[in-house]
Amino acid sequence: MNQQIRAIAELDRVIHEPGRLMIAALLFAVDRADFLYLQHETGMNKGTLSSHISRLEEARYVDVEKTYRGKVPRTLLRLTAAGRKAFEQYRRDLKQAL
Amino acid sequence: MQPSAEGTSMSQVEGFLKLPKLYDNIDGVTELCIGFMCLAWTLLAWLQMHTPEGAVWHRMYTLFIFVAVMCFITHFGSKAIKNRITYRRTGYVEYRRDKQWVPMAIAAAVAALVPVGLFVASRRHWHIATPVCLIGLGIAAFYIPYARMARWRWATFGAMVAAPLVIAALPAELVEAFANHVSVFSAIPATAVGAYWLTFGIDGALLMLSGGIGLWLYLRHTQAPAQEGR
Repeated sequence: MNQQIRAIAELDRVIHEPGRLMIAALLFAVDRADFLYLQHETGMNKGTLSSHISRLEEARYVDVEKTYRGKVPRTLLRLTAAGRKAFEQYRRDLKQAL
Repeated sequence: MQPSAEGTSMSQVEGFLKLPKLYDNIDGVTELCIGFMCLAWTLLAWLQMHTPEGAVWHRMYTLFIFVAVMCFITHFGSKAIKNRITYRRTGYVEYRRDKQWVPMAIAAAVAALVPVGLFVASRRHWHIATPVCLIGLGIAAFYIPYARMARWRWATFGAMVAAPLVIAALPAELVEAFANHVSVFSAIPATAVGAYWLTFGIDGALLMLSGGIGLWLYLRHTQAPAQEGR
């Protein structure tokens, strides 16, 4: 039981937040995706999604690239190597905790 | 699928990981492409069965040109739909290239094993209904992940399961008539050719129909945002 509690305490808090977990999981399964895709899959509004991405960017888990598709701006997001490692570790820790 | 405020279960995390894979067919384009390829093969087989031996449709270079045109249409057709419709409405996804060899390896293995299996079946005079059923059911099994995306797609799955069973129960003369009573390869009898022609034709039509409905529903329920934010 103690070990389980310890495992829960050791969960990465940046990824553990439900909104950020969705973003990390979606980006983990792809090479990169744009802001619109994440908005569509997570159902979050622009502001909430943007703040979660900023938090992941601060932790250096996500790489944000601003490009254009024709004249329309596009924000491409990719999980960094550190982000991938952190997400894999989170999955292992969560399995252990549950 | 949203994680609860109290916490996140492992199954939810695994569920999120599957979403991008399903997104590839959110617009029904994957089904349209596979259905188109099945119908194209059916058309080529029909041309081969209804033309004399020396006709252009029996030449090897025709096969290569046909495959090239088919690949060109599916590749650029799906790309055009994705670029002009899907990415503008529900977003862009670039899939990981390191895992793309897996479906290709499976497709290559199946493509190599099917003719070998057919050859063995015909040499040993097995009843041809069995391999037809197996291939038809194999195609239906391949469709299961797509059927899980929406409830109405299970009807397509049901029709795909029923098709080979019905074909296997048809009288041999009738099935042979679909193949114009000729064999494309000398090792495979007309009954088998007719049965495979029907299987691929019906499955191709079902996939095109299902993909078409999927695309129509996608267009109906989504619209491009005015401008991307952030």
